[in-house]
Formats: sequence, structure tokens, C-alpha cells
Amino acid sequence: MDEPLIHVEGLTRRFGTRTAVDRLDFDVPEGEILGLLGPNGAGKTTTIRMLAGMIAPSEGSVRIAGFDPAREPERVHEVIGLLPESPGLYDRLSAKENLGYFARFYAGLDVAAAVDGGLRRMGLEERRHDRVATFSKGMKQRLALARALLHRPRILFLDEPTAGLDPEAARALRMLILDLRGEGRTVLLSTHNLAEAEAICDRIAIFRTRLIAIDSPQALREQRFQPRVRIRVAGDAAAAREALVKLPFVRAVSADVQDATLLLATVDDADRDRPRIAARLVEVGAELLEISAEQRTLEDLYLDLVEEAAQ
Amino acid sequence: MRARIANVLRKEWTLMARSPSNLLFVAVVPLLLVGQALLLAWLVPRFVGEGLGDVDRLRTLLLDQFRFFVLLIPAMVANVFATLSIVEEKVTRTLEPLLATPVRTWELLLGKILAGAIPALAVAWGSSALFVLLACLLGWEAAVREAIGPAWLVSVLLLAPAISLLSFAVGVIGSSRANDAKGAQNLAVLVVLPVFALIAASVLGWVRFTTVGTLVLSAGLAALDVLMLRLAVRLFARESILIRWR
Repeated sequence: MDEPLIHVEGLTRRFGTRTAVDRLDFDVPEGEILGLLGPNGAGKTTTIRMLAGMIAPSEGSVRIAGFDPAREPERVHEVIGLLPESPGLYDRLSAKENLGYFARFYAGLDVAAAVDGGLRRMGLEERRHDRVATFSKGMKQRLALARALLHRPRILFLDEPTAGLDPEAARALRMLILDLRGEGRTVLLSTHNLAEAEAICDRIAIFRTRLIAIDSPQALREQRFQPRVRIRVAGDAAAAREALVKLPFVRAVSADVQDATLLLATVDDADRDRPRIAARLVEVGAELLEISAEQRTLEDLYLDLVEEAAQ
Repeated sequence: MRARIANVLRKEWTLMARSPSNLLFVAVVPLLLVGQALLLAWLVPRFVGEGLGDVDRLRTLLLDQFRFFVLLIPAMVANVFATLSIVEEKVTRTLEPLLATPVRTWELLLGKILAGAIPALAVAWGSSALFVLLACLLGWEAAVREAIGPAWLVSVLLLAPAISLLSFAVGVIGSSRANDAKGAQNLAVLVVLPVFALIAASVLGWVRFTTVGTLVLSAGLAALDVLMLRLAVRLFARESILIRWR
């Protein structure tokens, strides 16, 4: 089996007596978008900085495309691109000058082609000679992403790339990130935006100093939550509940505390069992208003896991 | 390696050129120094009366002393540019993406030191040339011939570059260690003090800066420049810069 592009084992970072990152273990294969989710102060930025070879771990090991960031930071910097939390551009330089400055640090790079290509890709060609101070936040973020991509890195670290952007700019940036995956690049994305993580990440790693869970959003939901069928009936739901409890494939039935007409039936497979539940309710004369497989959101999962980890 | 240092130089100079207040400082301070030295030399007859021999001797002394005043130029320019060099990158958060490129710390710091030291030296040399030219135009050729000897030239051509590099190295160290520009400037003032000490020692006649003595001093400072660059690299704490400047 191929070695994963990112391999993290027992990664720990302490600042004095405070442990910011505690024994992280995960692998990221080539071409995957992995979302790092966690509350403020969970250690997401510290983790990205350790992987990028910018700060050293206290313990543990990291391999980035086969290189050790702590021992060979320059080799790692050749294969990674970083979009930090703040775009970090020179306001008094133009878009072209900003990209040119960073491009010249990479040996063997065709600077003019890389800069022109980056500006074109991010739709900033017409503003190439304008000083960055005149750019909107979305434009700065796109320019910073162009900078991270100048040398065509295999791995991209994106630290909250859409934070503070308007919905249109955020969507455009998400589309760009998906394009990057299409090109076979591996992306590590730190975000607070759960809908964004759900939409673009192949897997998510939820952590709060320690890794709490890592898998695809769907798999995590399935692991965490038993499937349930939402049933809404007209009038008194007690009779319907009594009928449901007697069904052999229904594991439990609960009533919504705020809505007496809403029942939640725990089953093994919501899609398979939903028609059978509907048939039984019609049989017993219940007036069925709604029946659907319950959709648990990533937010439900995230809050559930993070709160549990905090206890 | 050289391409990366040249890249830092180019960027720093572009930013300098787009900062009119800094350019004004660089232009005005040397002119003030030149003007002050010439004014003093011009006022000599008022101090010593009309005894022409005394006038020439005092003018010669003042013209000779200018070689030490020239050393103040890079020290003062460094106090403005070098002290901002890293602090500004911290404040604008440009350091993090920069440190994620393959640039090495010594390449970055040497680029920043040279970016300031080269124009500061150019200004110092330009001021010296202007000073000599104006002194000749004022009709003080005799004093100029007397004062501008090998020791004067060694001071301007060798000691000034060594002081210039030292000033910027100390400024960059201060900038990378300080929390703000003011703190960095306070540290960089330490460079100006030894230059003042040189001037005082020369004016008071405690030390006579002969050609050989100035050559030795220049060589010693050049060695110190190399040590300071190494120290700057050692003191450039990437981690604490990134962690403290969130």
C-alpha cells in the first residue's frame, strides 16, 4: 500500500504547562480533503503549523510527502502551500508584485508563468497592477490562495479560508478548493463552518486538543446516531405510539418534548423501515401527516462529540 | 541563494520607495549633517578672529571630523528602517506565509540587512562627496587638501560600510526580538552610542584615528558584522514570533 501523503503519529505540542495538541494520530492519502474541526483553542492552527514545519512538536512524528518537517523544513516547504488565517499580503505592493516576491523563493519556478497563471485562475488579472490595499477581503483571500498555489504544491494547508467572507466569495473559494481536489492535490482545511466541511471534505477530524473522531461525515453520523424515523400524526399520538412499540423492528419510540404530535422511532435502517411503519399506522387508523428518515446534521454530531469530550 | 537575497532586497526597496516619509528622513538627515558641518566651518572666523592660520587649522579639524559624522548616517537610517523590518512583517502578518516558503532565516535576514545598509551607505558616500564639493566651492581647498587624506578616505570607504552593516544587523535583531517598533528603536539606539563615543574620543584628542588604526578598526567591525549576522539568525525565534503574534 502507498505511504499516506501526510502521516501523523503521537503528535503533541505543549506551551509551558499547557498542552495545545495531545497525541494526534491520523493519515491523509493523496487527493483527499480532510477537514479539521474543533472549537477555538482546540489546537487546529498549532497542528497546521507543526505539519508545515513552522513550529516543532514536543513529541511525536510527522511525515509530509516522506519528509520530516522538524528536520527538513525547506524540503517540506517545497511541497506544501499555506493559506494562513490572515492573508498576510503586502498592502503597498500590487497583486503581481506580491505573487512575484513569493514565487522567487522557489528554485526552478517560471516566475512570470506562475504569477500570470495564479492571477488568471483567481480572476484577478485585471487588478494585477493595483495595490493590495485597495482589494476587498474576498480578493485578498483569493490572492493569498494564488500565492499558496504558485509552486503547484502537492499539499495545501488552509486555515479558515472562508472566515469573514461574504456568501458569494465563500462559495467561489469553496469551488476553487474542490477544483484543487480534482487536480489530485491533498487539502487540510481548518474551519468553523460545519456546512462547508460537510460540503467539501471527504473526511473530517473533530478534535479538542485530542482527536475525538475522524471519518467521513456520513460514517461518523452512522457511528454516533442510530437511525430514526420522524412521524407526525394528527391529534393524539398515544395510539400511534402504542402501535409502533409493538413492531419487532422498532427498537424504541420517543415523543418530542415540545411537540406532542411528533414521534421518533429508532430502527436499524430508516429508509427500509419507513414504509412498514407507514403501513402499520394506516392500519391502526392513525392520520399520518408526515413520515421521513431523520436527518442528523453535522452540527448535531459535532456538538455531541465536543460536549462529550469536554465532560 | 543569491537570488533569494536579491528578491528580499528588491521587495524591501520597492516598499521603501513607496514610503514618502521614510524617504524624506533619509534625504533630510544627511543634508542637515552636511549643512551643519559646513556652517560650523564657515563660522570659524567668528570664533578665532582673523588669524588665518588658526582659521585654516580649525576648518581642517572640522572637515576631518566629518568622517565620523558620516558614520552617524547609517546608524540613524538603520534606526528607522531596520527596526521596522521584522516588526512590520509581524504586524501585517506577512511573516507566516513567508516562513512557509523555502527561504532560509539567514537569507531573509541578510536580505533585510543589505536592503537597508546599501542605500544608507550610498547616502553616506553621497553626503561625503557633497560635503567635499561644497567645501571646495566655498574656497577652502587648503583645508580640504589637509583634511581629506588616506585616514579620511579609509573612514568613509571602509569604516562606514562596516558601521552600516553593524547598525542594520543590530536593528534587525532588535526588530525580531521586540514587541513593537518603539521597542526595536530603543534597542537600536545602542548602535548610535558607540559612534558618538568615536566622535567624542576623536574631538577630545583621546584617540588619534590614523590610517592604519582606522583600517584595523574597519577590519574588526567587519568581523563583528559576520558575528552579528550569525547572532541575528540564532536570535530569530520563528516559533515565538508566530505564536506571540496571532
